[in-house]
Amino acid sequence: MILQGLMAVFQPLTVLWIAVGVVVGIIFGAIPGLTATMAIVMFLPVTYSMSASQGIATLMALYIGGISGGLISAILLNIPGTPSSVATCFDGKPMANKGQAGKALGTGVVFSFVGTIIGIAILVVLAPVLCAFALKFQAYEYCALALFSLSMVVALTGTDMPKGLISAVLGALLATVGLAPIDSRPRFTFNLFQLNNGFALVVLLIGLFAISEVMSFAESVRRKQDFTIEQNVKMKGAGFSLAEFIAQIPNAIVSALIGVGIGILPGIGGGVSCMISYTVSKNTSKHRELYGTGIMDGVVASETANNATIGGAVIPLLSLGIPGDAATAMLLGGLMIHNVAPGPLIYEKNGAVVYAIFFAMLLSAVFMLLFMLWGMRFFVSVLKVPKNYLLPIVMVLCGIGAIGNANQLFDTYTMVGFGLMAYLMIKAKIPTVPMILGFILGPTFEENLRRVSQLASSDKFYNHPIFCVLIVATVLVIIFSARANIKDAKREEMAGE
Amino acid sequence: MKKRDNYKLDIVPGVVLALFALFYMSQIPGIKVFKGLGSTPLNNHFIPWLWGGALLTLSLWLIVRGILKYRRVKAEGKLSNEGSLLKSLSDEREVILSFIALIIYVAFMESVGFIIMTCVYVFAQILILTPTEKWAKNIIPALITAVITGCLLFYIFRSVLNVLLPVGMFGFGL
Repeated sequence: MILQGLMAVFQPLTVLWIAVGVVVGIIFGAIPGLTATMAIVMFLPVTYSMSASQGIATLMALYIGGISGGLISAILLNIPGTPSSVATCFDGKPMANKGQAGKALGTGVVFSFVGTIIGIAILVVLAPVLCAFALKFQAYEYCALALFSLSMVVALTGTDMPKGLISAVLGALLATVGLAPIDSRPRFTFNLFQLNNGFALVVLLIGLFAISEVMSFAESVRRKQDFTIEQNVKMKGAGFSLAEFIAQIPNAIVSALIGVGIGILPGIGGGVSCMISYTVSKNTSKHRELYGTGIMDGVVASETANNATIGGAVIPLLSLGIPGDAATAMLLGGLMIHNVAPGPLIYEKNGAVVYAIFFAMLLSAVFMLLFMLWGMRFFVSVLKVPKNYLLPIVMVLCGIGAIGNANQLFDTYTMVGFGLMAYLMIKAKIPTVPMILGFILGPTFEENLRRVSQLASSDKFYNHPIFCVLIVATVLVIIFSARANIKDAKREEMAGE
Repeated sequence: MKKRDNYKLDIVPGVVLALFALFYMSQIPGIKVFKGLGSTPLNNHFIPWLWGGALLTLSLWLIVRGILKYRRVKAEGKLSNEGSLLKSLSDEREVILSFIALIIYVAFMESVGFIIMTCVYVFAQILILTPTEKWAKNIIPALITAVITGCLLFYIFRSVLNVLLPVGMFGFGL
C-alpha cells in the first residue's frame, strides 16, 4: 500500500498538479482576504475528473501552500494573508521595517517547512494509532465522541457561548434535511427530490466561506486601502545563518507540538495555534522584552505552529472523519466526492490513498520551500493583483464547484442561500465554524443515538468506559467554558462601565 | 456597530432564529414515522425536536440577553439615535447589489446558459467591486475579462472535465 501510494503521487501529472496546487495555494494565502479554504473550494471542480489520489494530493498541496503563503503579506503589508499568520505580523513587519524583509521571509518559509514536516511526522505516527483505537468504537462511543467534539468546538471558537451553540445547532439542524438515517424517511424536503440526499457539505462550505468573503470585500469597496508593499525584498539563500537556525530549534519544536495539538482539536485551526505558540514562546524566552520589536523567534513560533497545525488537523480527519478546521472540512468534502470514507477503516479500505496523502503532503512541503525561497519576487508581485477582478472569477468557480458536486444546478441555489445566511451570521457576530462541525457531526450523533436507544436495554452504558470518559469530558468542557464565558461577560461589562 | 448598540445583535438574530425554529418544528409532525421491523425506540422525529427545541431555547436566551442589555443602556441614558434604514441600505449597496447579481446569475443560468450569464455576471460583479470613479478606466478590461472567463471556463469544465454546465437557449457549446 505504501508503494502504491508512492507510485500514485510520483506520476508526472500528479507531481505537476501538486506543484500547481502549491503555487495557487501560496498566491491565495498571500493575498489578504483569500484563504486556503477558498483555494480548495476553487479547485474542487478541477479534481472531479481526477483519480482519488491525484485529486486529494492536489487539494493537500493547496492547503499547505495556502497556510504557508499567509506569511508574505503578514511580513510585507502587516496584514495577515490568512488568519493563520496573524502572529507573524508581530515580529515579521518590524523586521521588514528594519530592512530585514528577506531574513523575515526566509525565516518564515524555512520554519513553515520545518513545522509542516514535524506535523506530517506526527500525523504518520498518530493516525494509525488513533484508527486502531477508534476501531473499538461502537454506537455508544460515536455518540459521545460527536457530543464531545461539538462541546469542544463551541468552547474554543469564541467567547460568546450562546452564539457558538446556535451556530452548531443550526448546522446540525440543516443536516436533518433529506432522508433520515436508519429508516430513510424524507424530512424537510418539501417534495423537492434534489433535497432527498440533504445539503451537500461542499455546497455549504462554499456558501459559508467563499460567498461571505466576496461580500466582505464588497463592503470595503469605498474604503481607502492605505498600505504600501515593501518592494525592496532581497532573498539570499534563507536569509539567516546556520547558527541562527540551530538556536531556533527548541523554539520550533515547542511551537510545532503546540501547532499539532491545536490542530487535533476540532474546529480551531492555525489562527489560534500561531497566537498561542507566539505567546508561549514569548513567555518562556529569556529576552521576552524583544518580542514585537522584530526578532526571528516570533516569526519562528508563529510560522512553525501554523504549519504544524496542518498535520494535526489531518489526524482526526483521516482517523475519525472529524475535520480540525474549515480547510480540512473542505478536504473532507473532497474525500467524500472521491468515495474515500474517512474513519477507523480508512487504512484497510483506502490505504493507498492515505499513503498517497502523506507523500503528497511531503512533496508539497518541499515544493513550498523551493518555490517560496526562489520565487519570492513573483509572490510579492501577486499582492498587487486587483481583487475586484479576481473575486468574480472565484465566484464563478465556486458556482461550477456546486454544480459539479452532484451535476445539478439546484446546488447553486442552496449555495447562494448559504452565502446569504453566512453573511447575516457574520453581521450578527455568530461564528460559522461550529456550524460545519454541527453539520458533519449531527448525523453521526443522530444515527448512533438511535442505535443506542435500541441497544440500551441489553447493553448498558456503564459497560462502555470510553463512552463514560467522553461524557464526563463533555460535561467538564461545558462547565469550564461556561465559567470562562461568564468571567468574560463580566470583564466586558466592567470595561463598558 | 457601536458597543452600546450590541443589544441589537442579540435581539434581531434572536427573533429571526426563534421564528425559524418555530417554522422548523411546525414541519416535524408531517414526517412519516417508520414503525416496521428494525425501527428504533427514538424515531425520526426525536432529533429534529431536539435541535429545533435547542435552537428556540438559545434564541430566547439571546432575546432576553438583548433586552437586559437594552434596559441597562437605556437606564444609563446612552441610547444612540437610530440611523435611517435607507442610509444603512445605501452603505451596504455593494453587498446588496452583489447578492442581486449572484441571484440573477444562478436563476437564469439554466435558461440563458452558462457562457452568457457568466459573462454578464463577471462584468457586473467587477464593476460592483470597483469604486464608481474608476469605472471609466475599467469597463473595457472588465468586459474582456468577463468574456474570456465565460468562454474559457465553459470550455475547460464542460469539454475537458465533463462538468454538466448548462448550455441554455442558444445551445452554445453543443
